[in-house]
Amino acid sequence: MITSVAVLMLILPAVGALLSAALKRRARPAAVMTATITTGLAVWLTLSTFGAPYTRMLVDLPWLHGIVDTPILGIFVDPLASLMLLVVVPIGLLTVLYSTAYLTDKNREHPVGNEQYGRYYFWLLLFITSMVGLAVSPNFLQFFAFWELTTVCSWALISFHQNAPSLRAGFKALLMTSAGSAFFLLAILIIFARTNSFDFSALGRLPNGLRSWVLLFLLIAAWAKAAQVPFQTWLPDAMEAPTPISAYLHAAAMVKAGVYLMARTVSSGWGIPPKISLLMGGMALLTIFVALSFYFVQDDLKRLLAYSTIAHLGYVFLGIAIGGLGATLGFRGGVLHIICHGYSKATLFFCAGNIAYATGTRNISELRGLGKSMPLTATAFFIGLLSVTGVPPLACFWSKFMILSGAMRLGGPLGPLILVLILCETLISFGWMLYIGQKIFLGAPLAVAQAPADPPWAMNVTLIILTIGCVAAPFVGMPLVQLMGK
Amino acid sequence: MVNAVHDVEVSIVILIVGSLVSLLFARRRKLCGWVSFAFVCASSVYTGLAVVGACTVASGEHTILSLPQLGSSLTLRIDPLSAIFLAIVAVIALLSTLYSVRYMEHYAHDKVAKFFPILLLCVASMTGVLVCTDFLFFLIFWESMTLTSYFLVTFESENAASQRAGLKYFIITHGATLCMVAAALLLWRTSGSFSFDAIRQTLSAMLTTRPVLANAIVFLFFMGFATKAGLLPMGDWLPDAHPVAPSGMSATLSGALVKLGIYGLVRLFCSFLAISPSLKIWGIILALAGTGSLFVGTLTALQQTDTKRLMAFHTIGQIGYICLGLGVGAYCLDMYPALATVALAGAILHAVNHACFKSCLFLGAGSVLYRTGERDMDKLGGLAAFMPYTTGTTAIASLSIAGVPPLNGFASKWLIVAGCLLTGMRFPLFLVLGLIALFISLATLASFLKVLGSVFLGRADENLGIKEVPISMIVPQVVLAALCVLLGIFPQLVLRVIGHAIEGVTATPVAGVNASRMWSGLFLIDGSPVAFWSPLAVLAALAVLALLSYAIQRAGGARTRSVPVWYCGEEHAPATVRYPASSFYLPFKHAFQGIYPSGKVHVPRFPAPLRRALDFDQWLYAPTVKVIDTAADRVSRTHVGILQIYLLWIVIGAIVVTGILLWVRG
Repeated sequence: MITSVAVLMLILPAVGALLSAALKRRARPAAVMTATITTGLAVWLTLSTFGAPYTRMLVDLPWLHGIVDTPILGIFVDPLASLMLLVVVPIGLLTVLYSTAYLTDKNREHPVGNEQYGRYYFWLLLFITSMVGLAVSPNFLQFFAFWELTTVCSWALISFHQNAPSLRAGFKALLMTSAGSAFFLLAILIIFARTNSFDFSALGRLPNGLRSWVLLFLLIAAWAKAAQVPFQTWLPDAMEAPTPISAYLHAAAMVKAGVYLMARTVSSGWGIPPKISLLMGGMALLTIFVALSFYFVQDDLKRLLAYSTIAHLGYVFLGIAIGGLGATLGFRGGVLHIICHGYSKATLFFCAGNIAYATGTRNISELRGLGKSMPLTATAFFIGLLSVTGVPPLACFWSKFMILSGAMRLGGPLGPLILVLILCETLISFGWMLYIGQKIFLGAPLAVAQAPADPPWAMNVTLIILTIGCVAAPFVGMPLVQLMGK
Repeated sequence: MVNAVHDVEVSIVILIVGSLVSLLFARRRKLCGWVSFAFVCASSVYTGLAVVGACTVASGEHTILSLPQLGSSLTLRIDPLSAIFLAIVAVIALLSTLYSVRYMEHYAHDKVAKFFPILLLCVASMTGVLVCTDFLFFLIFWESMTLTSYFLVTFESENAASQRAGLKYFIITHGATLCMVAAALLLWRTSGSFSFDAIRQTLSAMLTTRPVLANAIVFLFFMGFATKAGLLPMGDWLPDAHPVAPSGMSATLSGALVKLGIYGLVRLFCSFLAISPSLKIWGIILALAGTGSLFVGTLTALQQTDTKRLMAFHTIGQIGYICLGLGVGAYCLDMYPALATVALAGAILHAVNHACFKSCLFLGAGSVLYRTGERDMDKLGGLAAFMPYTTGTTAIASLSIAGVPPLNGFASKWLIVAGCLLTGMRFPLFLVLGLIALFISLATLASFLKVLGSVFLGRADENLGIKEVPISMIVPQVVLAALCVLLGIFPQLVLRVIGHAIEGVTATPVAGVNASRMWSGLFLIDGSPVAFWSPLAVLAALAVLALLSYAIQRAGGARTRSVPVWYCGEEHAPATVRYPASSFYLPFKHAFQGIYPSGKVHVPRFPAPLRRALDFDQWLYAPTVKVIDTAADRVSRTHVGILQIYLLWIVIGAIVVTGILLWVRG
């Protein structure tokens, strides 16, 4: 039963993608329906496998007979996979719903004709398929296959508008994430050559020196995908994509694939060398501060949110690194941050979408006093902003607090050092985001904000649901996160 | 008994529900206001029951949820100290909401949906802060309080000053909260739990084993609470934020919110810290900080011409008094517990009194603003003829804050100064601080005489059409003024509860203030006539003198007639010949001009070389791509398009490969 549901959940969005491509102009209802059913299946799957991880291998690769005789491709649902599903699939549904209203010719920033719908929903639903497949992967090989599929979908969706900047941005993203994927492939090949297995736990059977190298390669792949230093330059440029895509791929889903890889690697039941954890943590802290330094010069609202995303992915890596050094609480905090940040950042991005739809611009210097004409967007933006910067009792406070508590469980001066650095960054990013939020929504309205169109109900409903998510995400994530850890 | 906690929980739930309900009615201003007031009434009733319950019987605790993996649990408990501050919050919230019902008409452009629901959530957060016994949840309620009050401070969305003030407020207080988070996590590292009891034990143990870390933690907590209370220099947000908020909210901010910072300081220094040499040093630091605040705050207030800004600076000043009392109390807790009780009782009583008179003053300023649209005292004058109730209540509150007997300000200031001077006989620094406090009392009186004189006295143009404010705005002011008088004549009413509170918090028996006899006044230190204050005697004397002067006047039988003011033969409008507020106390203004430094904060700009270094695209990726591009270009030059050249390449390639194979095989 569970297997069939899982396989259905995997296949349904792919079928929906093909259906959308075929239906072209009338793709939207099919897309919404497919996404809704997939969400229902994902929630059912999470509830029915709660507390008892489920594994079922289905397909074997005939050309590997003789070396590996058991099936290789299959389904694996444990708390970490459930958490990933709960982030990816509902936000995917909300993205599809939002896009039905956003991607029309009434959009003041980028009007889109209805002949493009087929192409858009095809790639979007294919992306949902690939994220679902990635979330329930039982080993590195299947993980890699869906990982590459997400890269392709991301390229297609970033270049959706097919003008020169977006084509360049899409190609840049493709190149940089593929460079990381090359290291991923190398790591898988080394593991298979040594242990004849693609399992996550096969990493533990490698000799120590080689294991460190393989972990380093996986880390590089994760960094490339999650836009960490030194690969962080593709994400701000990827904001050329339509805003729902920026919200979904580049805040909630695709970039989370990188941290998900690391979470799986670290939690597969064997010890990760402290050097690698320290490297991961150190680069995470560096990324957080590098991203912070770029906040102050951004005029484009989406680019600002992109840099914020980079910093928050650094937080997840930091949490996982702290978990790798021995403090499980840090690992749990990092993983909880996946769901909390996903919902909070999606809220912010969709607000940016509302603003772009209604006023035609994303430039902070042109936006003032929008709170009067767009009260719902203003409320959602403030809640999202306070949630993302970690103001209690909203979502990201809990995950940040758990990460800091985990850091304090480490011995020596490392804990207080991380504490001081993170609290400084929190205060600075909070101050800046609040300043930007105030600038955009409060104050006397400028001309461009005088007569914005009221966004359609689909966009408003999405925003309301995500705002509820900003408050409720920790309640959903905590039970799952408590089940994780060694 | 558990019932007191249960009452507080019900109160908080009522406020949260009320917030949602008033959001539904947001389109109709007055209805929204009255609905909110109804909910606040209901919740105040329950809070009142809880306060009474906590003062009479020892309270139990109630755990709502627990997070064992973090060592934290949402456990609520009320002790007499919480009860006092709960009473303050409930009363001020009730009166401010009643006042705001009509006051919000002043704001034609801003929707009430931004005010009443958030105000109710703010009151709920304040109530929650006072009953938490676990630091994690304390922090959540604390930050909710800051969050909601931020939206109330920035209520006027088109006023740039409001926005700036709100931003400054939130950032400074958030920084303070993060200091407290750091302190709590550092303690958690050792103790594994966030509850107040665990913090007390761990901190006490740490003071002997790791004093540097322990004092650092105390410093971080101190910064957190003192910023909220408004102690200088962290309290710089206060003069900007309190004036721009709607006046009902200004009253709540000054009356209730800053008291929660005081509550934190009392818990920190009297309860968390064990009696040790550090406590004496912290006492001195606290007293010095308090004196600094009261000196700078009040003297800056003397120079202000904006009614609400003047009152905001006075809040800083009066908080300075409270901290001075706390500091003396902390210093004396070890060696002279009787004197400590005097000073602590004075400090907490002053917190209660300050809530009464400062809220009354802000509501009065709000009434003036509501009717005239002005906060600038230079443009106001002669309102006594048109707004008698407001004048009366503001006059009573002004005399209270100045510490004029027999009003309530005198009782608490007397206790604080007595504590300072009596301790000063053993440690001279406090003598100096006590004398400064006395002098500043005078400055406070001068400042409020300026307010009364320039706003209410004098004459005004008759046909400006100013009337008294509506009844729902008069009632809160009158109630607060009446409280000022009542607490002035019978300070014993509150002092008994304060005695229990101090006993509970410091775990030492109360000896200093004998407040048991209602009708004969206060005695310090066990009845020996070291110090003695009997408000009833003074009131009786004043009454006798008043009767006497009235009798003399009637006996003299002088005729009184009213005449216009003589301006040496010229006709002047009253507004031009009034003595404006900015002309008061010019020598003081010149002498203390630079006493409150202010600077501008600039948007941070990253140095250009650093930004260039961090721009990986520019120096790493673009050049790499260029190099690969050039190399590929060079390679593609071999594709010349001539068949013979390609055949040549194939032949050469075959020879090379065969050569390599033969070499490897060999």
